[in-house]
Amino acid sequence: MSVLRPLDRLPGLNTATILLVGTEDALLQQLADSMLKADCTSELKVHLARSLPLPCSVNRPRIDLIVFVVNLHSKHSLQSVEESLCHLDAAFFLGKVAFLATGAGRDSHCSIHRNTVVKLAHTYRSPLLFCDLEIEDFRAAMAQRLVRLLQICAGHVPGVSALNLLSLLRGSENPSPEDL
Amino acid sequence: METQSEEQAVTKPADSGGEGGPPQVAGAQAVRPEDRMTLLLRLRAQTKQQLLEYKSMVDAHEEKTPEQIMQEKQIEAKIEELENEVEEAKTAFEIKKLALDSVLMNNMKQILNLNKLIMKSQQETWDLEEKLLDVRKKRLQLKQASERKLSEIQTEKNKQKDDLDSMENSDKIKTIQQKLETEIQITTVIQHVFQNLILGSKVNWAEDPALKETVLQLEKNLTMI
Repeated sequence: MSVLRPLDRLPGLNTATILLVGTEDALLQQLADSMLKADCTSELKVHLARSLPLPCSVNRPRIDLIVFVVNLHSKHSLQSVEESLCHLDAAFFLGKVAFLATGAGRDSHCSIHRNTVVKLAHTYRSPLLFCDLEIEDFRAAMAQRLVRLLQICAGHVPGVSALNLLSLLRGSENPSPEDL
Repeated sequence: METQSEEQAVTKPADSGGEGGPPQVAGAQAVRPEDRMTLLLRLRAQTKQQLLEYKSMVDAHEEKTPEQIMQEKQIEAKIEELENEVEEAKTAFEIKKLALDSVLMNNMKQILNLNKLIMKSQQETWDLEEKLLDVRKKRLQLKQASERKLSEIQTEKNKQKDDLDSMENSDKIKTIQQKLETEIQITTVIQHVFQNLILGSKVNWAEDPALKETVLQLEKNLTMI
């Protein structure tokens, strides 16, 4: 059982690595491409995976941010994400994990209720982002947002840490979980 | 059961210092050192931030985590407590920062005021110096004017003297003078002739006033006129 730890390796110089975990390969690939096209002063490395745990044989750099992509149209993606969450060290949830829910635009196809994902994000104290990854403009905007998030989590922005960002993001999201 | 998942890695050297950047080759050589400097500064800021993160993690790990198994509700409550602590720490820090900033602001304001005063005084000094300079210039001009006037007077005097001298030396005057002299001599001779005539006639000229006057008139020395 290999558990992914956030700070077990030293960071690469001017490098930020993001890990996208999700069952929809096409969407992940498109999101990765959008992120690489985004404007960024640091070197970006995007790793894609269907689920955790990751194979140990690969020599990979320190992972700064993990984004779990849940497709609201398929229950399978939610299950796979929930299973992968067990393989993460608790220290990751201090701002280095984010949830991304896609497919909320087409309500008729949604098999997972929105609140399920909201609860999941609330349980793990991580920010939840909504985006329709199939639409290119939304995807580009979300890619830009993720790049900024990644820079902060990698420590490239002086004065803002991942934990700091977490509490900042939480402030705007707080009202909805309390309604549940 | 472990699910071995596939993993793909996609990378991109997005930085200007990377080897794969074709735009850098063309003519941007002069900008390169600047880029390097900004890159170094950025890396420095990054490493500082990352060091701070690692240090805080080390500090966090020194705290003992409670190992006993708690109910989920209790865990939730504990988590909320910790989150509130974090928020409080943040707000306290912000307040401290604001307080310090206000002190700093005061100092800056004082410095600005002093600077304004200094600039005003310097301006006044400059104005006074200008006035002084003007006065000196005027004095110089007056001196020069008076010099000129005096030299003019001098030349005028010299001219007059020259004129006078030249007048005396002119030929016209010489001839007139000569004529005058001859006339005076002739008249003196005539005077002597008449004198001798009257004296030779042995007439008592003192009795006749008209004759007396004539004799006295003949005594007048004409060269003295």
